Order: sequence, then structure tokens, then C-alpha cells
Amino acid sequence: MELFLMAITTGVMVGGIYALVALGWVLIYKCSGVLNLAMGEMTLIGAYVSLTFYSMGVPFLLALLFSLIIGFVLGILTERIFLDKLIGQPVLTVIMVTVGLSFFFKGTVEFIWGTGTQVFSPPVFAIEPIKIGPVLVSQVYLWSFLASIFLLIVFVCFFRYTRWGLAMQATADDEMAALSVGVSARFVYAAAWAIAFMAAGVGGTLLGNINGLNISVGYLGLLVLPVVVFGGLNSVPGAIVGGIAIGVLQNLTGAYLDQYVPGGIKEIIPFVFMAIFLMFKPHGLWGWERIERV
Amino acid sequence: MSTTFLPCSVYHQNYGQDHAWWQTRFIKAKMILLMVFLGVVIPYFADSYILSVCNSIGYTVLGALGVQLLIGFCGQVTLGHAAFLAVGAYTSTLLVLEFPWPAFMLDWGLAYPVSIVIAAITAGLWSVLFGLPSARVKGFYLILTTMAAQFITVDFIITQYISQIGGRGQAFSLPPGTIKIGPWVIDSDLKVYGMMVVLVIICCAIIVNLLRSKTGRAWVAIRDNDISAEVMGINVIKYKLMAFFVAGCIGGVAGAFWISNLAAISPEHFPWFRSLWLVGVILIGGVGSIHGAIFGSIFMVVVMEALQLAVIPLADTFPKLLMDFLFIKEAVFGLAICAFMIFEPNGLAYRWWQAKNYFNLWPFSY
Repeated sequence: MELFLMAITTGVMVGGIYALVALGWVLIYKCSGVLNLAMGEMTLIGAYVSLTFYSMGVPFLLALLFSLIIGFVLGILTERIFLDKLIGQPVLTVIMVTVGLSFFFKGTVEFIWGTGTQVFSPPVFAIEPIKIGPVLVSQVYLWSFLASIFLLIVFVCFFRYTRWGLAMQATADDEMAALSVGVSARFVYAAAWAIAFMAAGVGGTLLGNINGLNISVGYLGLLVLPVVVFGGLNSVPGAIVGGIAIGVLQNLTGAYLDQYVPGGIKEIIPFVFMAIFLMFKPHGLWGWERIERV
Repeated sequence: MSTTFLPCSVYHQNYGQDHAWWQTRFIKAKMILLMVFLGVVIPYFADSYILSVCNSIGYTVLGALGVQLLIGFCGQVTLGHAAFLAVGAYTSTLLVLEFPWPAFMLDWGLAYPVSIVIAAITAGLWSVLFGLPSARVKGFYLILTTMAAQFITVDFIITQYISQIGGRGQAFSLPPGTIKIGPWVIDSDLKVYGMMVVLVIICCAIIVNLLRSKTGRAWVAIRDNDISAEVMGINVIKYKLMAFFVAGCIGGVAGAFWISNLAAISPEHFPWFRSLWLVGVILIGGVGSIHGAIFGSIFMVVVMEALQLAVIPLADTFPKLLMDFLFIKEAVFGLAICAFMIFEPNGLAYRWWQAKNYFNLWPFSY
């Protein structure tokens, strides 16, 4: 029972980070229709940037802020240089450009920072675990969870109440209508990429705090794909629920199945789940179903 | 991409001529020259480095052909083809190393050729298994399924279970002399090269012939619009799965071929990067043409080798460049894909087609 509760709690907390990264993914898809496979590498870049600042002696929150700013700039640059020219191109073309981008980012990150595991030192969060009710939770998870929930709320408020956020919602809903009332679609695309880059950067920084930072954090960023498939590609609540569900699934599998099927079952199970889930409900929980006509 | 225009004064009078592989005497002469170049000039004049580059081009061509079939001709995007290469390579390795072959088969050197065939079939069936979701989903969702194929096959099943067979740990070593076809032990670049040329020609012939049969037309119809294809009476699921089977088979052949070039085989030879590399190759070469797979392979392998040659003189001043060359390669590959997608989405094969037409139609190019 204790193991079960522990797995659930850890899962929910890691899931919060996944939800944050998945939110960025969904945002790009909703606003510009780009299916982004470079999300993992975007988390890597943000994480390494804040690690660099942190190891230079900058306080953690300030380092995070710097990584947010750099993520913002990189997001806009990426959109302007690569994606802007592809508006209206076939889906495969756009997907492959994001694959190309992911290689470019990954190669650059590996070239600059190397492939070894780096840790945030001194550790940002205290090491001794906290007891919540009957369960022991390490502080990293707790603070990461709180931070991602905070940011999720910030993002949701941003979409609800600010002018930019409303413009993005309008574009996601109906691009033509949004254009006709004077929303600049190009601006919205750039903003979506910038926000996704920032969300990914925060997610990467938090994930890097948990187990140290290396290339495999980019793999964790790839987990947004099962998350968004489960929640539905264009649903923000879906991204949040999906993130938490995938986190829980991962940790439950790690706790219970690992002894029967040794090896990396914990890393693989989201993809297995995704492959099976796609067979039965390809549009996810809250995704739009499109009816196709010839 | 449509077929090449014929020169003035060449007319077809029946379907046989229309479907002939080599339609004019000029093309026949050109192909014979190509055969001479591949079969005589390269083996006799190339040194071991050029041969090894050719071999890796051939390996890329074999892998990319399957991807081209799926993406370019059947419209089923796959980002997990390295998994099927891995299945082929491991099936062949396990059969060669572990299977109790009768003595006469070993004496006659039949074990490896038979294992290639079995590897092809195994990889094909494995590919069909992951193609099954294509009955329900398409586009981006299928991409995700094939990605899952990559992680499940290579990172989980092969790394955790298959690699443990025989207790060798991570890698299977292939002692020299195990890879034997008939009387020849495949132990030099030259022999690998010979085998590569034969396999590439056979696989290209199979695919080109399939494409001009009923099956190939069904694939192209599905690619162009799967709903219309279904309305026209094509059994979409059957043909999609057939495409997955054939692509997996060719992937299996590629994997089984590549073990002849390796001293040991481990899951690191088939990372996700390899899958994306193959897709990148056909995008750069041109989607929807066999030429595309070949040109793309030549271009990517040669560019990467050239890059390496360019980096070596710089290594004295910047040793990091050579040390981390793999990462530069990744970054350059990524940029190359982006650049081709943005500036030349039709790929190299399209330029080739334009050039051919220019010469065929000259001087009346309208």
C-alpha cells in the first residue's frame, strides 16, 4: 500500500512537469498546426542554459529567469528562420523540419555541453524528504510539482485575460476569423513558439534537478508525445490530465512491473501505452475528431 | 514525379514498349556503362577507403529503399525503420552464430544466404505488426506508432533480452570467417562491396517491378488519397500492410547485409538517429522516386565524409572539433534537412529529372 501511494504521489508530481512541457506542445499545435518533434531538445536547451547560469553563481530563480528570456528569444528566432517559410506546406514537410531542428539543437547542445551528466551544485532543493501524510516525498519532486502547477496557472491566466493570450485563442479557434478581426497570425505563431520554448526550458530545468542533467532529459521531453496523444492533440486540459496520467503510469509500472520485466520498462511503457491507445481512440480523450471527405 | 519525357521521334506503339525499363538505345548504353562502372571500374581502381564509403552508401540505399516505399509510394510515414534493420541484423546474426546448421550447409556456405532470407521475412512480419495501427490511424498518429516501434524493439526487446542470449552482455561478436557465401568468405571491403552491389540491384529491381504492377499502383493510389482509393475498390488495409511487409523485408536485408561489414553487433548500431537519418536521406534525395533514395544516400554519405575530411586539418588548432565530430554531424544533418525542406522540397531527384528532360527535349524544350 505504501509503495502504491508512493508511486502515485511521485507520478503525479513528475506528471506535473510533463504537463507543463505538453502545454507548450499543444500550444504550438493549436495555434499553428505544427506537430513538433523537437520538444525534447527544447527542454534540453532550457535546462542547460539555466544550469550554466546557476553554476556561474547566479541564484536559481534568476538563472531560471535568464533561461526563460533566452528561450523566448530562441523560440522567436526558430519560428522566424525555419517555420515561417513553411506555412501552408504539407504536414510531413513541417514535421521533418522539426525533426531536423531537433538534430540541430541536439548536436549543438552535445557539442557545447558534452554528453556527461551534470548536476546542479550546490543542490537547489534540500535533499531530506518531506512526509506528506503517510508518504515520504523528496523535496525536489514537491517543489517541481508546485512550480509547474504555478506556471500552468500563469499560462492559463495568460490565455484567459491578456490581449496576446486572447489573440492566440482566437487564432487557434478559427484562423480566418482571427485574421479578419485584425489578429496577426505571424505574431501568434512566433508567440506560441516562444511560450513553448519557455515552458520546455522550465520543464527541463526541473527534470534536470531530479536526476542530474544529461542528454536523456531530452528523451523525457519526448514523453510529451504519449501525453498529448492521450489527452488529445489540441486540448489544454488534455495535456494536463495526460501529463499526470503518464507520470502515474510510469511510476506504477516502475514500482510493480520492474521486478517481472527487468530493464527499462519504465521508459518504454508510455510508448507501448501510446501504441495501444492509438489503436482504439486515436483522437485522445478530448481531441477534435475530424471527418474526412474526398 | 512523372516519368521522363522521351526525345523527339521516339514513339510507343504498344504497352510493352511503354513499360519497358530501358526505352531507348541511349538509355541502354547508359545503364551498361553504369554497370561497367560499378562492376569493373570501382572494384579495380578504388582503394579500401573509397570501397568502405561505397559500402556505407549501399547500406543507406538499402535502408532508404524501404522508407521510400513506405513514405514515397504508400504515404505511410515511418520514423522507426532502424528497428526493422535491427531485427534483420539480429535474426541473421543469431542464425549464423547459434543455429545448429547441418554440416553440408556450412561447407557450402549456405548458412548466411539462408539467414538473409529468413531475416528479411522476420523483419517483414515484425514491420507488419507495427503497421497494423495504420488500419485505424494515419499521418501524425502513425508516426507516433512507428516511433513506438523503434523504442520497443531496439531500446527494450533487443537491448534487454536479445542481447542477453548466450550471456555475452551487450554485443555479439562475429568472429572472422563466420560470414560465408558459397566458397567466398566475406572478409574484405571488396567482397562486401560485391555483395552490396548485387543486393542493391536485386532490391531496386524488386521495388521497381512491384511499382509497375497492380500492387504498386494500389500503393500510389493510397498515397494520393486513401479515401478515394478505398472508394475505387482497393483493399486499403491489405495494401498498406503489404507495403509494410515489403519495406520491412528490405530493411531486414539491409540489416543482414550490414553484419558482414561489422566485427560485432550491438543495439547502438540502430539508434533512433538511424531511423531519422533514413527519412532525411529520402527527403533530401526526393520523395517518391527510387532515384531519390540513391541520390540522397550518395549525397548524405559523401557530404558527411567530406565534412570529416574538412575537419581533420582543423583538428590541430581545435581538437574539440574532431573529438565531438559525431555531434557536428548531427547538427549538420539537421540543418541539411531543414534547408532542403525549405528551399528544395522536391529533392535532388527533381533536379536530375529536370536535367534529363532538358537534354532529351533539346533543342525544342517546350
